[in-house]
Amino acid sequence: MQKLEKQYDVLIVGSGASGGMAAYTLTRKGIKCLVLEAGPPVDFQRHRTLKPVSELPYRGFGKPGRLPHVFQANEFNANTWVDEEAAPYTHDPKEPYNWVRVRLVGGKSLFWARMSFRLSDYEFKAKDHDGFGDNWPISYADLAPYYDNVEPIFRVSGRKEGLAQLPDGNFVDDNSPDVEAVKRIAAAGKSRGMTVTKIRRALGDGQLASSFNLLLPEASATGNLTIVPNAIVREITIDRNTGIANGVHFVDRVSKRELHAKAKVIILGAACLESTRLLLNSKLANSSGALGRYLHDQFYIPGGVVAVIPEARDGRGGRGLVGGAGYVPRFVNLQKKEKNYLRGYAFDFYTGGTPDAKYFPSWGEELQKSLDSCRNAGFSATIMGEVLPRYENHVRIDPKIVDAWGIPVLNFQCRYTDNEFNMARDAVETVGEVCREAGFEVLNRNEKMFPPGYSIHELGACRMGDNPKTSVLNKWNQCHDIKNIFVVDGSSFVTGGTQNPTMTILALSMRASEYLAEQLRRGDL
Amino acid sequence: MQSVAAAPIAPVALASQSSGGAAPQAQPSDQGRQIDYRAADAAGEMSRRFFNAQQFAALRRLSDILMPAIGDAPGALDASVPEFLDFLIGASPADRRQLYRAGLDALNTQSRRRFNKAFADVDQNQADELLAPLRAEWTYDPPVDPLARFLRAAKHDVRIATINSQEWSAAGGGSGARRAGGVGQYWYTIE
Repeated sequence: MQKLEKQYDVLIVGSGASGGMAAYTLTRKGIKCLVLEAGPPVDFQRHRTLKPVSELPYRGFGKPGRLPHVFQANEFNANTWVDEEAAPYTHDPKEPYNWVRVRLVGGKSLFWARMSFRLSDYEFKAKDHDGFGDNWPISYADLAPYYDNVEPIFRVSGRKEGLAQLPDGNFVDDNSPDVEAVKRIAAAGKSRGMTVTKIRRALGDGQLASSFNLLLPEASATGNLTIVPNAIVREITIDRNTGIANGVHFVDRVSKRELHAKAKVIILGAACLESTRLLLNSKLANSSGALGRYLHDQFYIPGGVVAVIPEARDGRGGRGLVGGAGYVPRFVNLQKKEKNYLRGYAFDFYTGGTPDAKYFPSWGEELQKSLDSCRNAGFSATIMGEVLPRYENHVRIDPKIVDAWGIPVLNFQCRYTDNEFNMARDAVETVGEVCREAGFEVLNRNEKMFPPGYSIHELGACRMGDNPKTSVLNKWNQCHDIKNIFVVDGSSFVTGGTQNPTMTILALSMRASEYLAEQLRRGDL
Repeated sequence: MQSVAAAPIAPVALASQSSGGAAPQAQPSDQGRQIDYRAADAAGEMSRRFFNAQQFAALRRLSDILMPAIGDAPGALDASVPEFLDFLIGASPADRRQLYRAGLDALNTQSRRRFNKAFADVDQNQADELLAPLRAEWTYDPPVDPLARFLRAAKHDVRIATINSQEWSAAGGGSGARRAGGVGQYWYTIE
């Protein structure tokens, strides 16, 4: 009888955007991959059904206290987020961090908002522009060919704009006309240097743009992919003779059975903070002391400015007037420092919705009249600000608490600083002014950002760099300390800019995987 | 970008991907096709279990003031919102329970002090005076004053509990002018 083959070339932890892209790239080059995913597979037919909110047990409020950090959760989708009781984490109550996790085959790529942008050399060479922090060890030119290859897989729609701070992509052309309300924002913002772009969005197959449907099936079709769901990785193991990684200990999520898997190379794509947690728990890859440090994201202020478009009141907003959206990429501090903060912010906005009842200082019939009048006449902007990567903002292992599988959890030490607060104030002030100049009635402005982590764009905790004393990874997403460990998720970012990071994560994962494949081919790993 | 019309306790950053599509919804195979199941509200009534009688009377009056029946749309009392909130708040973490109990007590205290009657018995003008904190502009951080904080929470909760009720759904079918409680993609527990 033939013994089952259990030695893999590459073991990938995580099946979301980054892990899925590694599997996609490597298996198509004939490399045998094992993917361990902490969660179960999703069966859309079985797991979902249409229900009216009135038939949910809590009328849409959700089970009280169940997901205190997941502001995105509602009673419809509550069962898709990681249970905070089973997998807790800790922080000072006064300094919350909203760590939002999905453990399913496909990871967060099942649910992302599909906003698809490129970074530019304003991010890759940020230090050259304003002296703060560090440059990435790569430039835009290094990554551009990989964006070119990733975007067609996800079918990113967009309109070419020719902006240095938001490079154009390999788009499915979006030639839809802008509605009048969008044109008015564009006209009012022009003197400030704003450009209103089309929102760049991954279309995928029309229903889904996920690792689950675009990457993993392709990898599986090669015959080179083994994927094991419900496999929670506890620790990376090291060969004592060679000092290099030789596999991982993992635990079956359901039965809690302990196993060990072997591979020549380990790729972590478990998302920024789970990959970091795994390295910290394995006590590896931290000769620099940078592991878990420089944690950053983008601060978000949903509803930073909420307004009403007067011409659309009382049901007068036709299709040509409202109903469109736009994205304004960073426009401040590009040529010179012009603000009391470094870097900048972007915002996106939607026209034609109805402002939330909370913005009207009334109740009862009076409130209902206001809502009726403003129905489909609203404007709402979400501010997305760059957060400076700081050594002080970090995660570490909490020695006192373990999760349901006995794995030590993370403790968060993360806060925004005056640079972010000043930026938020200026952003809300400026967007409010643009709204007024566009003739909109501003209902509310809020400069208070949601807690760190809310954007679900956590980045930087295993940052890359040329200097092994100040960075965890080299420019190929490869650990300086142990050359057969790669980390391909958002943790490698040196700076995050204002752009949603998924396209960059995908491009970096593809680039690292191609490099790794070449190393394997040459026998260097 | 928001994918469902559920309680907007906070804006939704992640859109549920398939919400915009028109894919036919297959019924889970373990649900009988021929059987029309209904939720509990179709069969029974709730009764007060958490608030005391004075608090509950104040909550009834407040619910009616915040969300009265208008035209053919049911109000909070039609939708059994006080009874539902008695359940929801009673099942909530301690800080929310305290917010409601203290807030309803404060409404009664202020009402007695100013009008010499319980909040349940105030008229519209008297109620308007007591609800004045709701005239303040909305801010991200809730008000420091406990009554103002409570009123803000109650305005949201009463409205959502009404809009998301079976009664609202039933009435909303005939009225295109008002948003009915939404239909969304409900995810079962994934094991």
